[in-house]
This record gives sequence, structure tokens and C-alpha cells, in this order.
Amino acid sequence: MQLSATATGHAPHAGSGPRPGPGGALLAAALALPGVAPPAAAYDPPDGHTVGVRHLDYRDAQPGLSRVRVSSPSVWYTGPVGEDWSIAASGGVDAVSGASPRWHTAVSGASSLRDRRVYGDLRLTRHADRMAWTVGIAQSDENDYRSRAASAGVRIRSEDGNTEWSGAAAFARDRIDGADPSPIAGDRRTLELSAGVTRVASTRDIVALQLGLARADGTLSDPYKYPDRRPDRRDQVSVLLRWNHHIADGPTALAGSTLRTQYRHYRDSWGVRAHTLGVEWVRPLAHGWTFAPLARLHSQSAARFYFDPVYDPVLGAPFPPGFASSPDRAVSPDQRLSAFGALAAGLRVAWRIDEAWTVDMRAEWYRQQGTWRIGGEGSPGLARLEARILQFGASRRF
Amino acid sequence: MRHRLAGAMLAAAALLSACSASGPVRPWQKGELARPEMRMDDPADARIAEKAFASRESASGGGRVGSGGCGCN
Repeated sequence: MQLSATATGHAPHAGSGPRPGPGGALLAAALALPGVAPPAAAYDPPDGHTVGVRHLDYRDAQPGLSRVRVSSPSVWYTGPVGEDWSIAASGGVDAVSGASPRWHTAVSGASSLRDRRVYGDLRLTRHADRMAWTVGIAQSDENDYRSRAASAGVRIRSEDGNTEWSGAAAFARDRIDGADPSPIAGDRRTLELSAGVTRVASTRDIVALQLGLARADGTLSDPYKYPDRRPDRRDQVSVLLRWNHHIADGPTALAGSTLRTQYRHYRDSWGVRAHTLGVEWVRPLAHGWTFAPLARLHSQSAARFYFDPVYDPVLGAPFPPGFASSPDRAVSPDQRLSAFGALAAGLRVAWRIDEAWTVDMRAEWYRQQGTWRIGGEGSPGLARLEARILQFGASRRF
Repeated sequence: MRHRLAGAMLAAAALLSACSASGPVRPWQKGELARPEMRMDDPADARIAEKAFASRESASGGGRVGSGGCGCN
């Protein structure tokens, strides 16, 4: 598996200053505090160059079995180009090793994997008075998967600076060539659309709503799961609600902190319905330190064609009951398509050393199991999954 | 179900647009909103963590588009 997002604009919250982006753009542009030099409006290009590095270490396991490990270093850059343009770029390498189940939670001699993914992305933004346009390209290569993507987006701010509308579209073309012993190979095409609105709700609240649509066509089956035959189309809808609330008054421990909350509803044409709730409490401290405990709760239903670990009485594992009489129907034993609940908890710590340097660390623990599903029965017969995610980052402004 | 989702979205969008019931927030009132932690976009560590979760779940989306695909899911 490969984990690192092709993410540009890596500056952590602490010490990042005003930068282009939904919410941040409209705030900075509207801010005019008496006696204080106004920050660079985020609809203007960034006022300096920033370079950063980040390292991800991911490990997951099931009872009695260490599974996948990913080590991923990456670098990123943002900066102005002339007066009206800015550029953002990132790249990295994911080194993957371990064992991935062939079906449900069964690990065999064919489950071991070792892979290396190299990726990069580039975004160019044109800044104007109350608008910003962005175009981007992204590319990643691994021994059995190649992806090429392009995107375009626009952000528009209202005249009073309290509302921002955004829209974006992206197209990706991927090539899958399953390594031995998998015979699955083919192309996958994905179209993504998103639209959103961000609103300053009060002197201490910002809210946002984003709608995402995606359609994937082509080879969608997993080449390393068996038997795995998925529909050749997947339509996805996501609705994301966010609310950032600054706590200005109250007990000393709370005053000056910010509560960041988000909820996502997801559904797709494969029958998966999911709810994800995330909460982060950001507590700035003295000397440039910031502590932010965080938690995430996820619950999903199973895909329509997922089958439980109950096998055909004649053929045995890994074949589902009735497989011989209808071998062409959609089936998958992929645990990720099952019904389960998951909880993640962690801590993010950042230290803005001075005007130039910022360092940060993020540690999370994740656990997924069928009995934790909310609002329905979880899929039976699957071992729980646990993961540990560590990230370290550093950035410098010039 | 689709009609209910569409209706809920329209209601949420209308509610969002109607925020600031006490009147529009003026520029000189936005001091607290300029804090870095009040930004709506996720920092890189959050996006990377969400990508890790998406590789072990079936749901995705809601963030930036155009990052391309991978063999992780």
C-alpha cells in the first residue's frame, strides 16, 4: 500500500501565517486591524518561499501478525512567481513491505509484498482581486500501478470577504498491471468534481460545506485478492461539513484554543454508506508551541458484493457459496469493503522555533473492527486491524 | 434516499449562507479568525493521515481533488 498524499502546501498550522486556501483566503483578505500592518491577502501570492520535508512511518497489524509497513520521505515547496502567480510542488517515495491478505484475513506465501512508489505533483495559481485559479498535474509510478492526473479549480470571494465559493475538477488515468501471480491488468479512468462554500459565521466561527462527486471506470478489481471481481464502474458522493470555533473566553485551559470539527457522509454505487466524524482541539502555548489532541470515528456498511468468510461447501476457501454456478457475478473478500467501525486517536505537536523554522510531529493509533460499526451489524469473522501512524516534519521560510 | 440527500444538502447550503444572524462580520472584528488554526484547509499531516485511513476503508473524498490514484486501494 502507498500512503503519502501528493500534498502541496505542507506548512503546519502553527506559524504558517496567511496562505492561499479556502477559508484562509477570505480571512486574510478581509482583515484590517487598526494599528497592525495587514497580512498579505491570501488572494495575493505568498510573500515568501517555503521549503519543507516530511517523513511518514506507518505500520499495521492483525492479532499475531505484523502486516504492512510504509516508510515515506517527502519534500515540498511553495512560493510566489512574479506579482500575480504562485507555485506549489511536492514529491516523495513510498517504500512498502509486509504481507497483505489474499482473502479476508488469510495470509499465505503469496501475500508478501515489497514495492516502491515515486510520486510528484505541481500546482500553479493565478491570483486576482477576489479570485484565484489553480491548475495542477500529478504523477505516481510503482511496479504495478501508474497514475497520471490533471486538475483545475477556482476560488471566488464575496465583496465583504465573509463568503468564499470554490469549485474544482480533476481527471486521472491509471494503468494497473498486476504482478505475478495476478492476471488482472487494465486501465482505470476517474473524473472528480467538487464544489464548496465557506462562510464566516461569527467573530469566532467559520463553517464550510463541500460536495464531492467521482466516477471511476475500468479495471477496479484488486489484482491481489482472490476471487475478486468488482463492477467496472463506481460512482461516489461525499458531503463534508466543517466547523472551526475559537474559544476566546472561559477557563484558563480553554481560553485561546480552537475546536475543529468535521463530518463526512459518503455513499457509492457499490452500496457502501459511511459516516466519518473528526475532532481536533488546538491549544497554542508559550514560545511558539502548539498541542492538538485529535480523534476520528468512522463507520461504514459493506459493499453489495462483499461476502463474509463463509465458503462453498464443495470448493472450500476462498470461494463463496454458489461460486461454481455463477462464476461471473461480482464478488470480493476484501476486508476494506466489509462493514465495520474504526476509531483513531492521536496528538499533533508543532513548534514555531522562529520566523523561519517550524517543526512538527503527529502520532496516531487506529483500530478497526466489525463490532464497532454504528447503526447496523458489522461483518463477522474478520480479525481486527490496528495501525500506528507517525509523521515528522520541518519547514523553513525564506 | 437520493432525494433526501439532495434535500439535506440544499438545507445545509441555505443554512450556511444564512449564517451571521447578527449581521455581517466586519474586517476589524476578524482578529481571532486570522489565527492559523482557524484555516479551513487541512495541513499536510492531516491529508497524509486521511490518505492512510482511506487505504484501509471504503470511503474517501471531501478534500482536495486531483491527487491521482495509487495501488493502495
